[in-house]
Amino acid sequence: MVQTKKQKYIFLAFCLIPTFIMFSIFTLYPLFNGLYFSFFEWSGASNTREFVGLDNYSKLFNDDIIPKTIWHDYFLVVTKVIGIMIIALFVAVALTQLKITEAPFYRIVFFFPNIMSVVVIGILWMFIYNPSLGLVNSGLEKIGLGEWARPWLGDEKWALPSLVLPSVWAGIGLFMLLLMGGIANISKSTYEAARIDGANEWQQFWHVTLPLIWPQIKISILYIVITTLNGSFIIVQVMTGGGPNNATHVMGSYLYQQAFKQYNFGYGATIGVMILVLSLITVLLLQFLLRREKVEY
Amino acid sequence: MKRTVGEIMSRTGIRIPLILWTLAVLYPIFWMFLGSFKSNAEIYANPWGFPETFNYQNFITAWTEYNIGSSVFNSLIVTLMGAVLCLVLAIPTAYAIERINFKGSNVLFTVYISAMMIPMVLAWIPLFFLLNQFNLLDSLVGLAVVYALSQLPFTIFVLTSFISTIPKSLEESAAIDGMSPYGILWKIVTPLSMSGIITVTIMNTIQFWNEYFMALIFLQSEGNYTLALAIDYISSEAQYTNAWGTLFASLVIAIIPVIILYAIFQRRITKGMTEGALKG
Repeated sequence: MVQTKKQKYIFLAFCLIPTFIMFSIFTLYPLFNGLYFSFFEWSGASNTREFVGLDNYSKLFNDDIIPKTIWHDYFLVVTKVIGIMIIALFVAVALTQLKITEAPFYRIVFFFPNIMSVVVIGILWMFIYNPSLGLVNSGLEKIGLGEWARPWLGDEKWALPSLVLPSVWAGIGLFMLLLMGGIANISKSTYEAARIDGANEWQQFWHVTLPLIWPQIKISILYIVITTLNGSFIIVQVMTGGGPNNATHVMGSYLYQQAFKQYNFGYGATIGVMILVLSLITVLLLQFLLRREKVEY
Repeated sequence: MKRTVGEIMSRTGIRIPLILWTLAVLYPIFWMFLGSFKSNAEIYANPWGFPETFNYQNFITAWTEYNIGSSVFNSLIVTLMGAVLCLVLAIPTAYAIERINFKGSNVLFTVYISAMMIPMVLAWIPLFFLLNQFNLLDSLVGLAVVYALSQLPFTIFVLTSFISTIPKSLEESAAIDGMSPYGILWKIVTPLSMSGIITVTIMNTIQFWNEYFMALIFLQSEGNYTLALAIDYISSEAQYTNAWGTLFASLVIAIIPVIILYAIFQRRITKGMTEGALKG
């Protein structure tokens, strides 16, 4: 049976339109409406919405907390990228190149935190950092560094760096797998040739592995940056709620506080626009910085 | 090739950091399980060691006094509804984008895929009011819809790439036998894509089961709390109630289904997530 054109279009509409309507209502419309909200002052009650033009944006530029939240976000981005990439790269090379028989065991274990709930991760690490019960402080006391013990998450200076470790802990697995996939694609003969040329294992790593898995490294870095900028507030919300004294507020947690705790929905949307703009700029910039001629041997 | 002494040394040396990281991953999880069997007095006296006796009191308290039972039920409902709705929305679109020639199929695909990279936090404020208008705020159905739509782009992405691996000849011969395109989609393509559907559904299920922030925004009454919210609530109250054992027990309840899914579907989950990241 040959379909008529009309039948084809009806089927196409059946496939695409219901989904696209739902997507428009629950994803596209809220995104654009968020932009629109940022020009209003609104506490949520329907008749108090007031058009204020760019007032929210000038408030944004004069808000002392905003630069802190941006700095905190980028601090997490940079430390996470460095921490995750170094450990994931080491593990990926070790598990693929060094013929370790129990490699699948490590792979399975290291990946598991990736599928744990942020709530579980956050609460577990709150315990690890707990001043009186926690593993960190009791460990420090055991090795004679008791004076380094401190209420990690309650200390304005140390709270933010303390959030890096759980994020790295939870993030290694996925990037380890991505890099392992890249290494697996490098042909054995490339290493063979390098060995014949007298390259030791370090030289092989620097001159063969690293250039050939550059695409995977690039994707990993971009992925860490995007997920951190778009999602770091979740672990912040669970572990510190932005405190102590705003020392760990990131852009997203500050948006949550402004919009859903203090009912400044217009200002919250303005912070959302800022997150959108910053993450787009960052991704574009990174893609430019990380570009590198494709290496083929 | 003979191994030199130095090589053997380095093989052993390389294991030390690997074993240390294994401990760093497993010990906190293991310790959480131990803690769930300890009394409060034991948690304070001996936070990092084994419990003296294994008692289940914490689980009973969590289940009955802290409503973990009903929040497990809520989480199950939301997870199930979200996962099913996501498939219903994604399968026809993925099929059409991959197999039917029409103008704009690339544009449509790009629109869905770019939604994966946009920070949705901006959309949550208007979504809050939209759900309120639809009477879906503080409702498990509303949350399930939001969840389904949040994973829709990823699901479409995984399914289109999966459907592209199915040979076209099967659909063509079914069409020649007179099967309608609806029949082909339902009776040929869907069963043949089952492996991809299962992979993506497991990942969505874990995602929805674990999700915290959207639930925090879009649910309000305690009766509707999902597991993540209930645990967060117990955690924030614990400094007054000292219900640490109960908190551990509820963390264990939250993580056990994930461990079971991971044990069964480890390969699918890791493969799905790495492929998702490669494109996303």
